[in-house]
Amino acid sequence: MNGDWFLSWISGAILYAAPLLYPTVGEVLGQRTGMVNLGLEGLMLLGASTSFALSVRLGNPWVAVFLGAGVGLLANLIYAFLVVKRNASQLATGLALMFFGLGVSALLGKPYVGQMAAALPKYPLLGPRSLLFRYDLLVYVAFLLAALAWVFLFRTRWGLQLRAVGENPAHAYAAGISPARVRLAAACVVGFLAGLGGAQLALGVTQTWSEGMTAGRGFIAIALVIFSRWNPLRAIVGAILFGGAVVLQLQLQARGIGISPFFLDMFPYVLTLFVLLLWGRGVRHTAPASLGRVYFGTEERGG
Amino acid sequence: MKRVVAVLLATLVGSVAAVAQQPCLVVGMIIGGTKDDAGYNQSQYEALMALKDKMPCVKILFAENVPEGDAEAVLENMIAQGAKLLFPAGFGYMFPALNLAKRYPDVVFMHPGGYMLAANFGTYFSNVQFAYYVLGVAAGLMTKTNKIGFIGGLPVAFVLGNCNAFHLGARAVNPNVETVFVVTGTWLDRAKEVAATQALLQQGCDVIGSHLDSPIAVAQTVEAAGAFFVGYPSLAVQKFAPNAWVSGLGLTWGDFFVDIAQQVLNKTWKSAHIRKGLEAGFITLGEFGPRVPEEVKAKVLEYAELLKAGKIEPFAGPIYDQAGNLKIAAGEAWGALDMGKFDWLVQGITGSPK
Repeated sequence: MNGDWFLSWISGAILYAAPLLYPTVGEVLGQRTGMVNLGLEGLMLLGASTSFALSVRLGNPWVAVFLGAGVGLLANLIYAFLVVKRNASQLATGLALMFFGLGVSALLGKPYVGQMAAALPKYPLLGPRSLLFRYDLLVYVAFLLAALAWVFLFRTRWGLQLRAVGENPAHAYAAGISPARVRLAAACVVGFLAGLGGAQLALGVTQTWSEGMTAGRGFIAIALVIFSRWNPLRAIVGAILFGGAVVLQLQLQARGIGISPFFLDMFPYVLTLFVLLLWGRGVRHTAPASLGRVYFGTEERGG
Repeated sequence: MKRVVAVLLATLVGSVAAVAQQPCLVVGMIIGGTKDDAGYNQSQYEALMALKDKMPCVKILFAENVPEGDAEAVLENMIAQGAKLLFPAGFGYMFPALNLAKRYPDVVFMHPGGYMLAANFGTYFSNVQFAYYVLGVAAGLMTKTNKIGFIGGLPVAFVLGNCNAFHLGARAVNPNVETVFVVTGTWLDRAKEVAATQALLQQGCDVIGSHLDSPIAVAQTVEAAGAFFVGYPSLAVQKFAPNAWVSGLGLTWGDFFVDIAQQVLNKTWKSAHIRKGLEAGFITLGEFGPRVPEEVKAKVLEYAELLKAGKIEPFAGPIYDQAGNLKIAAGEAWGALDMGKFDWLVQGITGSPK
């Protein structure tokens, strides 16, 4: 094994990290306000199918990508309304949203299966002849976005407010912050970024639409949030590791190194379990305290 | 009185018209994916449409995206609508369809690729492995790096057989060819298929073949890299790789479906495992792409003709596996019924058959 091997691995890992990074960064922000969204997979699929369909129709991948992300945002407003306004269970709402997205995206995307869409243009880092490091703009943006999310979360007043809501909405409320408003805003960001991740997958990576094409990436993103311990910078590392596992598996095969593809496929999940195992002993980095809990208002009910 | 006669007449005319419109046969098909996947499902659907065109008196019932768990109910519903010939067109439908076949002995079931038979349950498929040998010949002549790649969904016998045939065909015309085999671990995950294609291209493979549900993502990735692509299992994938296209194989069962429908109508249908190849039109060699030189075309067509005439045997020994063990002895040859036996890859292929 030499440097050439590492270069082709990292080149592929970065490409497959990007569509994971968008929903992960969104979900980090969402969970920092105390909301778990199991519907990411559905949101990604909606973003993927609508952006692909729009790209076929309009011929402009950029407009399509942003409209697809917008559809993700709109769909997640359903979640936001139910969870924030109607105090519904986050887990049940998220799962319902996942199945909703799965069905609606299949329905919307159906006429476009097997069609050709305008793909996002590629900007090769090593010149036009190299097969390595050929990415569309959204790949570069994904990493920039993760860094910006970190700055936002830990270096701005808004980020502090957002985290305060996630730790204890009642105290945040007492400090003059509206938990409902912060969560609504966060839900919009989650929906937009999950939709964008799906759109990038469809128009940047695969350039096709097929039903259920995200193939569990929405759930890997949730695992990544835990893996990164709610930190967008660590999410970059996680996304490269998780995305890289798929690439590594295929590249090892192409080099004739016999390792079961099924074994490497489970690597991201094993890694997540491992992190949870280690992290169980730490006290400093814990999940946002109100994560998954319903916030009924200023009064605490039922602990 | 006049009005009564008019009503009676109208009813009579109406019922005569209804008799005239009565279909000669109701044929049903279910597929697991979508009919436009430029792959396996599309090839099944196109055969059904060919049947509809050639026998206009046939009524067609069709359902796509049918999960295996729902297959029995959907097929039973088609039987309730009068279907007498059913194509449960997905490998996983074999057992649900067999269950129904027991309960409806007067309905004929034709299953693609199945290994079970019943009095009213037969199977059909193309001898793909033999035809893939011809694509291997094309790949062996087109490669400049002497490295060709093959992407499989799962490492099952028929996929390994196609990869072996691809490699053997290439070796037949170019003894220096090496083949790299990669599996994605699933029949349909487009993002993984892109990653697999890139891994092969980075290894220097410049002709890529595949055995997936739908190779659209592979075709587009090869096209973008400027390498060569051979298509299977539907020729509809050509439009995704216009410049990379060398040739391809399409599963073409239209005429066969017509035969089967006629046999069911004439009550001459008999249950059997039907496996045929290029010679019977069960599989069709596609047209050549724009970058294929004339002498390559001629050579590929020559091999196709030899194969059709039974003059070459792709799996004639001696053939060794990757570890150098003799798998098919000299003087022996594997035929169509041996294709399910591959759990090994031919010497010269990189990759794991497990």
